[in-house]
Amino acid sequence: MSVEIDTRPIWVILLLKASRPAFYLAVVLIFWGLIAMPTPEGLSIGGQRAIAIFAVCLILWVSNIVPLAITSLFAIVLVPVLGVLPKKETYALFGNEAVFFILGAFILAGAVMHSGISNRVALNIMKRFGGSPRTLVISIFLLSAFLSFFMSEHAVAAMLFPIVLEIAKGLGLKPGKSNYGKLLFFALAWGCVIGGVATFLGGARVPLAVGMLKETTGDSIGFLEYSVAVFPLVVILLAAGYLILTKFFPIDIEGVGSARAVLERRIKGLGKFSINEYATGTVLLFTIIGWIAFGEGLGLATVALSSVVVLFVFRLVKWKDIEEYVNWGIILMYGGAIVLGAALDKSGAASWLVKSSVGDWAGSPWMAFALFSFLSILLTAAMSNAAVIAVLLPVSLGLASKLSMDPVVLTYAIAVPAGLDFMFPMGTPAIAIAASSNYINVKESAKGGFIMFVTAWAVFNLVAAWWWPLLGMGYSR
Amino acid sequence: MKKVLIVLSTSGTSEEAIDYAVKRAKKDGAGLVALYLLEMGLASEIFDKFSDIGFIGDKPSTQLSESIMKEYRQRGYEELGKVQIRAMEEGVDFEPLMEQGDFMQRVLSLIKTMDVSTAVLVKRRKRSFVKYFSRSMADEVKEKALCEVVLFEEG
Repeated sequence: MSVEIDTRPIWVILLLKASRPAFYLAVVLIFWGLIAMPTPEGLSIGGQRAIAIFAVCLILWVSNIVPLAITSLFAIVLVPVLGVLPKKETYALFGNEAVFFILGAFILAGAVMHSGISNRVALNIMKRFGGSPRTLVISIFLLSAFLSFFMSEHAVAAMLFPIVLEIAKGLGLKPGKSNYGKLLFFALAWGCVIGGVATFLGGARVPLAVGMLKETTGDSIGFLEYSVAVFPLVVILLAAGYLILTKFFPIDIEGVGSARAVLERRIKGLGKFSINEYATGTVLLFTIIGWIAFGEGLGLATVALSSVVVLFVFRLVKWKDIEEYVNWGIILMYGGAIVLGAALDKSGAASWLVKSSVGDWAGSPWMAFALFSFLSILLTAAMSNAAVIAVLLPVSLGLASKLSMDPVVLTYAIAVPAGLDFMFPMGTPAIAIAASSNYINVKESAKGGFIMFVTAWAVFNLVAAWWWPLLGMGYSR
Repeated sequence: MKKVLIVLSTSGTSEEAIDYAVKRAKKDGAGLVALYLLEMGLASEIFDKFSDIGFIGDKPSTQLSESIMKEYRQRGYEELGKVQIRAMEEGVDFEPLMEQGDFMQRVLSLIKTMDVSTAVLVKRRKRSFVKYFSRSMADEVKEKALCEVVLFEEG
């Protein structure tokens, strides 16, 4: 029998072994400390408790030590238990339109992926426009962005990854060495990130922000209104992204003949365009028209859920298929975030937090916008997009009333940059899967991503300053 | 017959290590066993990220993980092919293996069951600060293995 001896210093071994329990203990102590301390002036007891719950959720969301949805569940449990909101009101917040809209949108996206139409469209576009190394990269970049307008950017990345991988192999590109290989995977990841902010559907984070906005102020943002507001940002970022990528990784191959052979083989493998694909595509098309034309009146969730019903009535999809494509944890995550936002607002904790934290620096509406958009894009590099919104939006909405700002504009300031993580795999699955190919590494991603991070923040602020006034949007009410 | 084991994996390969292992096997008159280990870590990390952060369902996440594993397997065949060519050039007996699982457990078990005399491992390059807090698995194998272990850095 052999005896295993760990030769590291004892304090290192103990530190590593005790880190997880110590972390939980620290969280409990912080929570207890915030609850037990004397209530600060100007803050109600309910507000103090809401801040304690907020602090714990913030730590858990940032550390990602438990799944995001479970952290949200924690908020849902503690809010009524500590008497911040009555339990009836807490659970009623789950009925928020945003939760049902996102559920409907995810089911629709699942049906589209299951039918195979998204795959077919992707392959045909690449084959049609990818005739040279340059146009192939552009087609992957724009296609990733375009598909992310209509379905979750993460789902698009998952769908396109095997195709791009096969193209890279078909072209004989060496992982970690080929510039063109890096270009292909960055084009996939950045295209998904940029396209994901273009509509309510891409990152699915905007509906959460709109749901929290509506719950707090009664204001809302329309489907088309949002896309028109961010359109110049998306176009400029796509152009900037392409220029940055080709500058960092100049194209180092002559032709893409073998990639075309890969695409042709895959298209052939799909067979003929099926009725199911036609029908699912048509339902998606009418749903988008419905969101644009009737979203305001009927509600986005109503349109989304009506389309889901149509999918099932016409047997275009089975429940079992949908179950495999939708992660139901999203309901808990979104419901919990909305509960937490409402608890902070209704207890007065949000406005108290603003007064005692950012209130002094964010002296003007312009400054508040720049500050929150910066915090949002910075935090999203290290934590989930939805968690960034859940953490920053209640505080920023508290600031809106103090500075007489339009809360809708502040919602944009959080929701849009929260989707623009170009640097690290931990914030965005699209970057994570690109890195998993081994064609790119985290160092390269951080380097190019940092330039995009600065560019995206600057362009977003310029779009807000120059484009939004033309649409009748301003920092102040 | 003596056996030299070379361990390559998805997280690290080294031309220098391959060259050393082949020459060492020839010098010792030993057979060469090349193990390519498919590490599930990254694929399952992506799966978790898709589920927890992206809220994507099981099917796309599983398909993605499978696609990553398929690619790693393909790379494994290529790496084992390289070792085989080198072994044939030197006239060394060669046995390829591709396995999935925990690095340390698999390597230690193989050393024991195949009665390996020399194991050649590749470890990742790490900054000295990181090295202090997390030892590489190759270092751990070196401590626990009952045979001679030679380490190379990836590259």
